[in-house]
Amino acid sequence: MCKIDNPYRPIETEVLDVIKETLNIKTLCLKPKEPMTFVAGQFIELTVPGVGEAPFTPSSNPLTKDIMEVTIMKVGKVTEKIHELKKGDTVGLRGPLGRGYPIEVFKDREILVVGGGCGLAPLRSLMYELFNRSGEFKKVFYRGGCKTPKDFLYRKEIEKWSERKDLNLRLTVDKKDKDDTDWKENVGVVTTIMDGIDMDFKNGIAVVCGPPIAMKYATMKLLNMGFRDENIYLSMEKNMSCGIGKCGHCRIGTYYACKDGPVFTYDKIKNFHGIWD
Amino acid sequence: MKYISTDNLFKLLNALKRDYNVYVPVKKGEQRFYKKYDEPSGDIRLGEVRTFEPLKAFFSRAREVVAKGFEPDTPFAQDKPLAIVGVKMCDLKGMKVLDHVFLDHDYKDPFYIKNREENLIISSDCTFAIETCFCLAMGVKPYPEKDFDINLSETTGGFIAETASPKGEALVKKHQRFFQAATAQHRKKRESRRNEVVKQVEENIKKNNVPYQDAFKGIIERNFESDIWNEEAKACVECGACNTICPTCHCFLLYDRKDEKKMERLRIWDSCMIKDFARVAGGANPRKKLWMRLRNRFEKKFDFFPKVADIYACTGCGRCISACPAKIDIRKVLRKLVDNV
Repeated sequence: MCKIDNPYRPIETEVLDVIKETLNIKTLCLKPKEPMTFVAGQFIELTVPGVGEAPFTPSSNPLTKDIMEVTIMKVGKVTEKIHELKKGDTVGLRGPLGRGYPIEVFKDREILVVGGGCGLAPLRSLMYELFNRSGEFKKVFYRGGCKTPKDFLYRKEIEKWSERKDLNLRLTVDKKDKDDTDWKENVGVVTTIMDGIDMDFKNGIAVVCGPPIAMKYATMKLLNMGFRDENIYLSMEKNMSCGIGKCGHCRIGTYYACKDGPVFTYDKIKNFHGIWD
Repeated sequence: MKYISTDNLFKLLNALKRDYNVYVPVKKGEQRFYKKYDEPSGDIRLGEVRTFEPLKAFFSRAREVVAKGFEPDTPFAQDKPLAIVGVKMCDLKGMKVLDHVFLDHDYKDPFYIKNREENLIISSDCTFAIETCFCLAMGVKPYPEKDFDINLSETTGGFIAETASPKGEALVKKHQRFFQAATAQHRKKRESRRNEVVKQVEENIKKNNVPYQDAFKGIIERNFESDIWNEEAKACVECGACNTICPTCHCFLLYDRKDEKKMERLRIWDSCMIKDFARVAGGANPRKKLWMRLRNRFEKKFDFFPKVADIYACTGCGRCISACPAKIDIRKVLRKLVDNV
């Protein structure tokens, strides 16, 4: 056995806490035994020992160095096991992997953040970063949507953001049930709250994260509004496995989402076929 | 240029056994397979054509442990480096593609690096072509001129031995007692042998109407929405043999298992023809249909790699042609793509 850096090795990590967010979404608070800092938008591979690993984007503040939060929807084999995890359990982490949001580029610009569903998780990390550096950006707009009020990730926290002076916030749900009487915000898909935004679209930055269908329509809307291809930042969900551009699973055209993304500007990928599939 | 007699070559292989696990091609039925070398035997074929299995198997193993739990040490499995003898030029080109993936990239793969650094490649000229050979169409000659440590060209009573790396040179120097200077006669013999094999491959290409790679520019983009993919995929049974047998296919699957309470992470060769290859846990799958996956395989080889690494990821070895139970023939697909303007 010889000591060179092994990119496939997970770092032993303690589950400090498990927070139930919605019916099928939980947030894990994780403490890796070796330091792991990340940039908002980068991702990690989370290992459930003996079960497997899956890619997630941290949802916590990048400034919080020793603890990382990851918000996870139960959708498959690994996430099912993740949802069974309890405080004190051991998991593995690899990363951070890929490229996140280039915050330096966002400086002195107007920023529109559009998120849907589980996409609000990585965006929370970005919002924290924008709040950390409040004042460095001209204006920040946040437009978030979920299926129903019950599915709204971090709802209480996000509703509090509406008190912030450095943020213009609107929320929506696709539909609400009769018992969702406390939902006073918009009802409709996320593009329905993207009108009437007072910003210079031509020079503005847009960040989109959500399910493929939401990303597609939000991007079309942004283009119609006048955003430039190269100013639209998309977080692409592909089957990232090795995380270092070798295993071949997450290829998008001439890129691998894991090492060249997962955050891409629209101009980089718009000519590839089936980017929204 | 040196000459080594067949007797001395086996003495050299015997000597190499001290530092290496030596692998040589042996003939079984109609095919040639790599076998661990022990002593000279009648089934060893140092010339002839490529083996059944691709060379990549010695560098990116079909199945290997890449992590043991959270242990910081990298779990290298190889006890001794390998000396792989009788490697053909098509497989050496395959290594160029793998080098791009595992070595020359932003991220390096410790397992591949170690194998690449330590393993010895003793290549050899093809002494004839088989029906599926079309290397010349892919810009690959049936004899190695570079990218080996030592190359052997069969000639009267032995081989011409050339070196193309410091490792190869050092080895020849160390064992110089086995070598002598190659004569003009030896070279002449090699020349005519090489020309003869080139002619055979050219005839193959002509007979099978295989397009040359100069005609490949834009064939994928141009045919992206073409019916060719659907037509070709109709017979495909999604076995993935074309992937595993291909000297340039590099995709792998990471999977974890629990072994006596200890977690191990393995990687195994994967196949982009399998339905779930690109599927995400949420259910989205960019390549739901089989024809999309067949197209993807060609896109990777004839669009992705030329764009990112300036190389077509096909070596003309013809392995996928013989391996495919549905008789999907890469030569015919390429012809259709080139002709569809």
